[in-house]
Amino acid sequence: MTAVSLAEIRKAFPDQEGTDEVLVFDGLSLSVRDREFVCLLGESGCGKSTLLNMVGGLDRDFSGHLALEGNAGPDSVKTDPRIGYVFQEHRLLPWLSVYDNLKFVLRTGGIPSDLWSSSISLWLDRVGLWEFRNAYPHQLSGGMRQRVSIARAFVIDPDILLMDEPFSGLDEFTGRQMREELLQLWRQSQKTVLFVTHNCFEACYLADRILILGNRPARVTDEVPVDIPRDYESEELFERSVGLTRKVLGTGLGRLRGQS
Amino acid sequence: MLSQLVTRVVSIAVFVAAWQVTSMLIPPRYVPGPATTFAKLIEFAGSGALLGNLATTMIRLLGGFAVALLVGVAVGSAMGLYRRAEGALDLWVMVCLTIPSLVYIIIAFLWLGLTELGAIAAIAWTTFPAITVNVWSGVKAIDQGLIDMARVFRASRAVRGFAVILPQILPYVMGASRYGFGIAWKVTVFVELMGRSDGVGYQLNYSFQIFDMPGVFAWTLFFVAIMITIELGILKPLERHLFRWRPELRA
Ligand SMILES: Nc1ncnc2c1ncn2[C@@H]1O[C@H](COP(=O)(O)OP(=O)(O)O)[C@@H](O)[C@H]1O
Ligand SMILES: [Mg+2]
Repeated sequence: MTAVSLAEIRKAFPDQEGTDEVLVFDGLSLSVRDREFVCLLGESGCGKSTLLNMVGGLDRDFSGHLALEGNAGPDSVKTDPRIGYVFQEHRLLPWLSVYDNLKFVLRTGGIPSDLWSSSISLWLDRVGLWEFRNAYPHQLSGGMRQRVSIARAFVIDPDILLMDEPFSGLDEFTGRQMREELLQLWRQSQKTVLFVTHNCFEACYLADRILILGNRPARVTDEVPVDIPRDYESEELFERSVGLTRKVLGTGLGRLRGQS
Repeated sequence: MLSQLVTRVVSIAVFVAAWQVTSMLIPPRYVPGPATTFAKLIEFAGSGALLGNLATTMIRLLGGFAVALLVGVAVGSAMGLYRRAEGALDLWVMVCLTIPSLVYIIIAFLWLGLTELGAIAAIAWTTFPAITVNVWSGVKAIDQGLIDMARVFRASRAVRGFAVILPQILPYVMGASRYGFGIAWKVTVFVELMGRSDGVGYQLNYSFQIFDMPGVFAWTLFFVAIMITIELGILKPLERHLFRWRPELRA
């Protein structure tokens, strides 16, 4: 079953002077299967965040076909699929405690209030921050804030998880640990994930399938299934990521060399 | 916290001591000492003049301040939210900030007469530009990322307004209020000196006319004490409580 499908997407922004337009996508198509972990890999500025914003419903100003399916099953009532979003910056409400930040999205998501406290304690426990439930975001480290932001995305029991370079603002050690933790959460919950990154190693480690976004206007230039075990120690992971980097560089994303 | 308090008490003690020494070196008609000044204060208090004049002044002050806050929040929000409003008004706000308060006072009294309304208008007029500028910059600093986050998680328009945008603006409105209040009370005494026949400003002027230096000192001391009490006793704790989530206030 397909969870996300985009076909013939055309998206343009007005340019600086407002006289002309900049084409970000022209004829972009891709799809994500149910419960699949897909990494979208591409250089900065190629349109990854724009794509995620379109899927997330933040940007409706485009043409083409976009369809999202819930996980509820084929014959259930069609409702808008629930979306959990992890941004590059944590985007927690700074005046709410960790606990209340999670409560906020449960409320806005229309989740019955008798489920709130059990869901919040479950997910804060899973990201290891139950003890910090009463802390304000500014009292936490960068990694902890991003953990809260991940818990916030999971707590509403989303049909689709969208993640926009969630670990790129963290140091490499924290990032590594959090990738591992994310995989664990993903295995426990079996969510459909669309994960944006410019880091080849990260993509190889996390994904079931990698979609390389390239050219300008951008489209999917290559598709790489990843069938190796998700293990940092594995030689194969390293080799794959080197191979992937070559492949990406080959499509003209020269600047990636400096970034990953 | 405690050492901060000790520092404060010590600094006040040093000030009073220095005042005492100065007053012993200079004739009391120029610098009356603490004892003389307090005696005068007690005399004013006994006659009922102290609280009566304070009440009159406070009513004008609060009236003018309330109008300034209303106008300042409205204009500042409009400027922060709409580019059109910003382009049309930013020059004029700057002009209003530059004009000396004396000009507002004169114009208000000329237009409205030497009345209570004139006094309040003058106070409001002097105060609102500063409030406007603060609110304007606050509204401009609204984080669009948080609004987008709320939209993804399906917050309605109303929830976004009340639970995401308002809390971001509130600290600026509070800061603008404290700042505006500081301006308002300085201008209030001036307004009273210019065009009213009661209030702390008028009493100060009266003491000046009869060259009653202890009177000037007593009124100043009293008014400053009241204002500091309001600032430290009400406004600051309120702000600390409301915005305890802001890291900069904890420093
Ligand atoms: N709101 C906007 N207005 C105009 N141009 C934009 C806007 N958002 C993004 N762009 C442009 O679209 C392109 C893709 O941006 P983005 O999706 O943020 O890239 P990425 O996330 O891959 O780094 C960039 O060239 C950027 O300049
Ligand atoms: Mg981006």
